[in-house]
Order: sequence, then C-alpha cells, then structure tokens
Amino acid sequence: MAEWTSALESHLSLGRFGTSGVIGVTLSEVGGFSLTQISAWPEQLEAAGQYAARLGNCETFPGPGQCVEGAGGTLMRVEPLKWWLIAPTMPAEQAGLPNELGAELDLSSSRTWIRVSGPDAEGLLNRFLPLNLSGKTFPTGSVASSAIHHIGITLWRSQEGFNLLLPRSFAASIWELLTESATQFGAEVVRSGEPRAR
Amino acid sequence: MTARRLESGGRIDRNQKVTFDWDGKALSGFAGDTLASALMANGETVLGRSFKYHRPRGIMSAGVEESGAIVTVGKDTRREPNVKATMQELYDGLTATGQNAWPNVRFDLGAVNGLFSRFFAAGFYYKTFMGLPPFEWGSGTGLWMQYEKLIRRAAGMGTASRAPDPDHYDHAHGFCDVLVVGAGPAGLNAALTAAEAGRDVLLVEQDFELGGDYLNDPAAEPKRAELVTAVRNAGVHILTRTTAFGLYDDGTAGLLEKVTDHLRNPDPSLPRQRFWTVRAGATILATGALERSIAFENNDRPGVMTAAAARVYLNRYGVLPGTRILIATNNDSAYGTAVDLEAAGAQVTVIDSRAEQNAGTSERVSIQYGLAPLEALGRPNITGVELAADTGNGWKPAGKQGCDLLLISGGWSPVVNLSSHRGAKPAWNAEQACFLPGQTKEPIFHAGSAAGIWPREACETSGVAAAQRATGEAFQTIAPGGWARTIKPVYEVRASDRVSKAFVDFQHDVTGDDIRLAHQEGFVSVEHLKRYTTLGMATDQGRMGNVIGLALMADALGKDIPDVGTTRFRPPYTPVAIGALAGRNVAGHFKALRRTPLHDWNLRHGATMTEAGLWHRPWYFAQDGETIDEAYVREAATVRETVGICDVSSLGKIAVQGPDAAEFLNRVYSNGFAKLPVGKARYGIMLRDDGMVMDDGTTWRLGETDFLTTTTTAHAGKVMVWFEELLQTRWPDLKVHVSSVSDHWAGVSIAGPKSREAISAILQDGTDISNEALPFMGVAGVTLKGNIHALIARISFSGERAYELYVPAGFGEAMMDLLWPSAKALGGCLYGMEALGTLRIEKGHVTGAELDGRVTIDDAGLGKMASTKKAFIGSALRQRPELLRQDRPQLIGIFPKDKSQRFKGGSILCAPDGTSGFGDGWITAVTHSPALGHWIGIGYISGGVEAWRGLPVIASDPTRSGDVEVEIVSPHMVDPEGVRVHG
Repeated sequence: MAEWTSALESHLSLGRFGTSGVIGVTLSEVGGFSLTQISAWPEQLEAAGQYAARLGNCETFPGPGQCVEGAGGTLMRVEPLKWWLIAPTMPAEQAGLPNELGAELDLSSSRTWIRVSGPDAEGLLNRFLPLNLSGKTFPTGSVASSAIHHIGITLWRSQEGFNLLLPRSFAASIWELLTESATQFGAEVVRSGEPRAR
Repeated sequence: MTARRLESGGRIDRNQKVTFDWDGKALSGFAGDTLASALMANGETVLGRSFKYHRPRGIMSAGVEESGAIVTVGKDTRREPNVKATMQELYDGLTATGQNAWPNVRFDLGAVNGLFSRFFAAGFYYKTFMGLPPFEWGSGTGLWMQYEKLIRRAAGMGTASRAPDPDHYDHAHGFCDVLVVGAGPAGLNAALTAAEAGRDVLLVEQDFELGGDYLNDPAAEPKRAELVTAVRNAGVHILTRTTAFGLYDDGTAGLLEKVTDHLRNPDPSLPRQRFWTVRAGATILATGALERSIAFENNDRPGVMTAAAARVYLNRYGVLPGTRILIATNNDSAYGTAVDLEAAGAQVTVIDSRAEQNAGTSERVSIQYGLAPLEALGRPNITGVELAADTGNGWKPAGKQGCDLLLISGGWSPVVNLSSHRGAKPAWNAEQACFLPGQTKEPIFHAGSAAGIWPREACETSGVAAAQRATGEAFQTIAPGGWARTIKPVYEVRASDRVSKAFVDFQHDVTGDDIRLAHQEGFVSVEHLKRYTTLGMATDQGRMGNVIGLALMADALGKDIPDVGTTRFRPPYTPVAIGALAGRNVAGHFKALRRTPLHDWNLRHGATMTEAGLWHRPWYFAQDGETIDEAYVREAATVRETVGICDVSSLGKIAVQGPDAAEFLNRVYSNGFAKLPVGKARYGIMLRDDGMVMDDGTTWRLGETDFLTTTTTAHAGKVMVWFEELLQTRWPDLKVHVSSVSDHWAGVSIAGPKSREAISAILQDGTDISNEALPFMGVAGVTLKGNIHALIARISFSGERAYELYVPAGFGEAMMDLLWPSAKALGGCLYGMEALGTLRIEKGHVTGAELDGRVTIDDAGLGKMASTKKAFIGSALRQRPELLRQDRPQLIGIFPKDKSQRFKGGSILCAPDGTSGFGDGWITAVTHSPALGHWIGIGYISGGVEAWRGLPVIASDPTRSGDVEVEIVSPHMVDPEGVRVHG
C-alpha cells in the first residue's frame, strides 16, 4: 500500500497558538476524500444533475451557489454547468455519466480540504475573502468560488463550519497565510480525518 | 502660552500616570491624553519647524487638521515621521522627537531660511534653478536634478526608518447595511436609529473614544454615555481608532484601523494596523467640521490655535492652555469656549469682527467688536496681538493687547472629503461661508456639522434623519446653519501698506502673498494655483487653508468664491502606511508560492530551487560541493549516458472531454488531432489569431472522448483561459468541457538510455513497456508497486529515450521513493531545470524563451507541422506577406568559433562590420554542452542557417562579456537524426 502525502505534510503542526487563553478559530485538514466533477451539456443540465444527485445519494441536485448533503457526500454547484461531489471515499462504482449528458472527471488529488470553525472563523476568512459570510447571507449549504491572495478557491458552509478547497500546489502557501492571520484570534490546529491509503 | 494641567476635570485618568520621552526629555502625562495634550501640560510650546522657512510651530488644533505639532514617533526601525501629536494617543514609554530641524525644534539652524523668505516665494525654485543661462543648458533639467537633492534636504518633513518594517499588517473585508463614519452627536444618533430599524450597522470613529463633540463638554457626558450604551445594545459593530480614508464605487469604503499604535508592548499576534475594505448598502457621513484659521501676520506663532481646540484641551484633557487669552472670532461658536476658559480661571477677551452686540456670555468675558488680529507679537511664543479695526473696505491698526494665547475662529469647514471622492462637488454656501457637501445619486448621506448644521441638538436630529433616509423611512429635512447671528466672512487681515507673512497653508508655508503672486503671474485656474503655490498639497490636503486660498484668489480675480471653484479631494483622507496597503502580502507572501507535489521530496534529496513563475522548481542537485556549472553538466551527461529523473509536475495539464474534444483540439492546434488514436500522444503547436505561436505541448488521447493536453509551465493559465474563451464565445456548439488538472497530477520525466529499465523495475504487474508495446509517442495506464495507478507516455524533451510518468499528486512522493532507488542503481541521477535546459538546447527544442510572442511557427523551424488541409486558429493570418519574408529571424544553433570561448544569452548576433545598432539576430539561451564539449547556444538570426552558413558572425554583448566570434549552425546540435529518442 503506497502512502498518500498531504500538501501540508511539512507545514501542519497540531496544537494551539496565537493570542493566549483564547481559541477563536479551529483549523484542520480533512484528508482521505474523493472529489468528482460532473459537467453537463447545457441542454442536459437536469439529467446530468440527477445523475450527480444519485452519485452522492442526495435528494436533489443543488442550484448555483448551493450544496446539498447526501449519504454519498456533499454535492456542490461550482459552475453553471458543473457540480463537484466531495466524499469521504471514492463514489461507488457506477456506470458512469453517459457521453450524451456530460463528462465526469476525478479531481481528488487536485485540492486540499481545509476546515475552519470557531467563533472567529468568519472573521479569519474575511481577512482574505471579499464575501459576506454572515449566517444571514451565507448560511449552511452555501457555496462560493472566490480567491485568497489571487488564488482561486472553493468555499462552502456545512454544519461543521466553513470548508475550503485549495488548489494543492498553493495549499501550503495559503495555509501559512491562514495560520499566521489566525494568531490574532487565538487558534488551534486539530486532526480531522486520516491519511488515506490505497 | 503658559499652559498648565488643572487639578480636576477632563476625561484623563489622573491615577494612571504615563511617562514618555520628548526630544530626549522624560515627561509625564495621564492615561487618556494625546501626545499634544501631554506636551501642552508639560509647558512644551515649540513642537515643530515649518516646511520651508523652518519657523517655530506649536499646537494649532486638537485633531486631524493639525499643521504645527507634526512630530516623529518611535525610534530605530519603528520610527514614523509626520505624526500629528494631536492624534497620537499617549502610552507609557512613547518616544517622540521634533523633525525638520537641527539640532532641535527649539533651536534650529535651518531657521536662517526665514531671513531669505522674501526670495522664497511660490515658484522660486523653478525660476531660479531651471533653465537659467548661463548656468543651464540642454533641455533645462540637468542642473535641476542636482539642485533638487539639496532643496529636498533643506525643505521637507521627517524621515522614516530605512530598515525593513518590523511590524505586520492585516487586511480585512467588512459588510454592513449602513456604514456610519463619525461617532459624534450626529453619528451616534444615526447609528442607533439605523440599528433600531433592524439594519446591520458599522460605526467608525477615528478617535479612541466615542462621542465626538460630546467629549468636550462635561455637561453632555450623561447623554453621551447613554447613547453609547444604547448603540452597543442595539448591536452596532464599532471600530474605534479607525479612519475612513476613502469612498469608492458601489458603497465601498477604505478604512484604516490602528490596532496597536497606542500600546507599549502589544500582543505580537496582533497586527499594527488593519486595512479594511467595507461594502455598505448606504453610507452616513457624520464626519464633523473643522474650524478655520484666519490669515494675518505671524498667524503661525506658537500660542495661536483654533478656538475649539482650547475647549478640547480644557474639557477633555484638563489642560488650561493659557492664562491671558484673546479669542478672535467672526461667528458664534467661539463664545462657548470663552465662557469655559473663563470659568477655569483664565482671563479672557473676545474680539469679534462683527459689529453688533452679543448676548449670553459671562460678564467676566470682555468683548470688543469690529476688531480682528493684524499681527501676532512675540518670538518664538506669542506675547501679544496687534489688533486691526474694520474700516469698511479694509483693516487699519487699532492698538496692541498682551496675551499668552490667541484663539482663532474664522468659521467652519464641513469635512466633505469622502463624498468628494465620489465626485460630489462641494457647493459654496455664502450664508454659512463654507463649502457644503455636493449632491450624489449614490446612497451617501451627510449628518451634523458635516452637513453645515451647527447646534448640537440639530446635529442629533440630523443624524436620526440621515439614518431614516438611509433606511428608506420618512425623514425631517434639517437646514444648514443654526447660529443666532450670521457669520462674517474674514479670510485675511492685513493693513494695505504692510508686507506680511500671513500663512494660508501652514503645512506648506504658503502665504497670502504667494496666492497674490500666483495671480499676478497669470494663474487663474484653481488647479494651476494649487500646483504653482502647492496650496493644499501637504498631508492635510488643504483642510486648513483651501477656503482661505480660494477666497484670496477670488478677491484677486474680482470673482466670488464659487466662480473660482475648488479642487476635488482624493483618497486618502489621512495618510495610509504602505505597510497597511501591503498587508500580509510581503516577504515570502509577496506572491503565493506554488509547490509541486515533489517539492519536499526534492529538497530532501538535495535540490537547489529556482523560481519559474510562481512555481519553485529544482534548479540542480549538487553533490559534494559541486558548483551549479559542475552539477548541471554532470546531470546532463548522466541523462545521455544512463538515466535521469526530473520533476515536470509544473507543466500545465488540461482535461479536454466530450464528443467534440477531438474536433476542438483540431481547430486549436496547427497540426492535425482529429485522427489521433486512443493510446497515442502528439506534439502540437497552437497559434494566436494573428498567426504567432502561442504555446506548445503534447496531447494524450486517453479515450475516445478524453484527452489530456499539456502546456508549458509559463502558459498554463493563459491556455486554459483561451480554451474557455473559444468554447464560450466562438464554438458554443461544441460539446467539450475543459478542466485544469495541473494540480491533480505529479509528473516526472525519466530520460536516458536506461529509462525503460528504471521504470520497468517499479511496475507492479510486469506491464510491457517495450518499444513494441509502448513505442515513441505511446500512452498507457500502468500500475506501480504499491498499487499506484499511473499514466505513462513515451515522449522526450531531451532527445533521449524518455517517458513521462504521472500519478495522482498525493502519491508523488511514493512514486519517487520507488523510482529513485531504481534509477540510482543504474547509475542515474536527479536533474533540475539547468540540465533540462542543456538537454533541450542541444536538441534545438524551443521553450518560452524562443516562443516569446514574436515568433511564427516557420521562424521556429516547425512550419512543416502546420496542416495545409484544415483551418485552425491563426491559419489565415500566418500567411501574411510580412510573416512569409525569407529574411525573418529564424531558429538557429550557435557555436563559438574558438571552442574554448563562451558567450552569453541575450547577446546580439551581428555581421563583423555591424556591431552597432540592432544587429541581425539574438541569442535566447546558452549552455555548456557535455555531449559536444563546448558552449553552445540557440537563438534567431535573419534568414536562418542558410543565410549565414560559413560566414563570420559576432555575438556582441557590450555591457558584459564583449564580442565573441561565433558560427551559425543547425539548431539540432546533438543527434540531429533523432536516433536516440527511438532507441
């Protein structure tokens, strides 16, 4: 079994740091996930969406800027014609998306998944993201594509907090920025998920 | 000016003594002081020297408009110049020094400038030092450049530390329904009203306390405290020590929060300052108004300040700023100050330039009408005032009066800067003698004295009304004004027969005479006036002087003030540190660093890294003290002899999917892709619309509808954007999706005669990758030991038998842990970009250095690849006559004539008799070739190899290595038949 190496392997250290006595932000890397892209042809949006929902065991497929949770993972609408299904494991083998509906692509290794939670999570993210992340305007189930330091990222809000998908090659650089900034709130880096083996 | 701290009163905490250092002298103040109030309480009067004449200056105000007490705070690496002492919160251990003076502000040798002040009028430097025969010549700027250095040294402000900034700064984004700027009577009421209407409100205050003018009135404290509590309870988000420095499009405001500037030992986790970008649904500007001075002789003497400032020092900081006080006013606002100062024990006289009687002041305050100050007497501090009487059409001397403090109230200027940023042109209101905020269609509303409303109660009501407007409720219109008696405009007081040094703009030493001089010299536009005299161009942007300057210009032109116009304010309202603009994007985070999946692995195995765009890539892997030259030559030689491994993960990788993917690629690339079989790769060149080469790379057909296109590292993003643009705008009918998978894959090139052997040893299931099973340009899926699924393609950039092996990025290190021992056992090496360059130059393969946007596919020697049977992007315009000329620069190889010599990249290729001018070509890249044993290069020359075969050529490098004689050869310098690649 080959060992999977995280992009944060030499950058992530567990523990508390920053302003003493306070934990405003909790950060973790979520490992061992799969990320599948389902792209639809414009006239097949509905059918491809239903396929995506089935793949994630979701009741329905989400509209733009939204995600839904299913037994098979979280399904996000990341572009007008694209969904991302992020799941703790690879999706169950399926027949695959028929060519006439769209295209399917494994992007599991292209992103690093960071979870940001705690009372100052919104404050920390707003140190970088020009998005109104208040519960009123960005409630649980919201998805956005934005940028940190000019690097495109994907953000969604789940029950556990905010989730970031960072391009793997920039993940360490953005992680450094996030953790450096998090010191002002008082922060803790915790373990989440296990390194994956295959 | 004989100021003293009172035993009681004010908002300072007398139980918290604070010590600080002023110009090397240990002084003390109290918590709640500003640096200015503490210095005043300590009897310090001369705190600065003026910009041009080095005149002594003292405290002139109590706020952001300060033009006298401008000092340097901090020391060593934390030295910050041009800090207004009136805005600097006092803290224990604060160090401040005077600036623009030597040896100190109290005795400054630079004051000699004042003796020559009659020569230093506006325009003096330009007239004297530019184009003055016989001392000047040419275009008239040569000597000026020398003089300028001396002038800037003599005139100026403080200096910042030249060391790197030791502090860190933060950026933040904020959002609100209503942004309220200013927490005075109007701002607090506006914030409370908007919050109670259910709006999300952000209240911004540059002071460290909320209250604005309430803070200067002990009687108003209960009301202030109640309002502040109500505002907090209503959920208003409050930022103190924060200045809204600019308004921008769509309700965006720029704020600067001073997070730790007031702390001696701040928490290192906290940034020094924070730069906020706030998006607001509506903006209420309750920014107040600034009291104006009046121009009269020596109106800059220490001991002359605005009337309202004295009230601030008395009521907020418990400092009585003088004992014999003369207040000169032209409006009602100064009378409250007079009463308070008298009650505190001062002897107060008011001179009112208006003629009529006033009522309601203390009987102990003496009032004289129809008078104004003509000259401040005393040096350096004020000892008295020569008065002037209004003659109806001017002023005449009217005796002298002793005083130790002269307070001026020349009227009030609403702070209209922020709405001016949005293009709202301030409108002159003659009745109130001030500019009022201009109209804007944006949801920006003014409240309080920022709207020219003077009485406090009216300001409170206007705050409520502004919030009601912002929230779409019915509101009451509050008219500007509110004083019992009309202001009498007085901008300058001078006797007609006297030459005076009456300052209009204190920060830039601009006088009334400078304004008149500008008029005499023909300047009529306010914009030209500003530039000629530098009026309003200092850090206060003319807050104190603009109105007076305009009034004097209007007088000179025989016009009214509105006909002269006013300049438009631009951000920032107050200076913003460059560090705050940069935020965390400095040093290692100046730009995001991009790491390949093998980054750490490469470092652990001895890589020295180099930058390739945002990427860090291995440059070379030195062994046992090797230099870079020794390392890359060894690495390149090892590749040709056995095998080498190079991290190529940074190559752009795009998944092209869909039933029309082949057709799409066929249109994009100049060569054919429609019939590329599954399991095959093809090298392709894509052109821009104008026929120039855009990028190159290989495309692998993984399935009937699945392609993997690789791009150069440099152009990955550009090509991805190009593909999206083509699909969305030109060919929306094609069923194709493109997705960047650059980060999904870790990729290595395994090159050399033993490359197949090295790879075969790590395949899990003994997959056949022989010539027959995986021929040149073949592609296959394989499984490495450890069950790692991989893609392998037989492609070569080095000219050797070579493969590219891709695994999911997370398994990159695992792949290398298998592959490297296998290659090492065969005598192989790891190689970096330098050796990669050597190998490709030997083969004449092009990269970004050659494909620089000016090159056609024919220039690069690859014209035969371009299809003649299909249309593709650029196929029409590449046929332009200019691009088909035979003498266009074409790709060539370069050898030194004397093989022991070397030449450099960037050299110009010239005929021996043409080493001046542009030459005939250029060298794009050079290397020492281990295969050939001498230096070689690649580049372009007019007409290509055939035009220069056998002819002498000079590689000219006039700024570095000089001229080297070279010969032009085919770019395919090693193995031109390509035998090795198929081996």
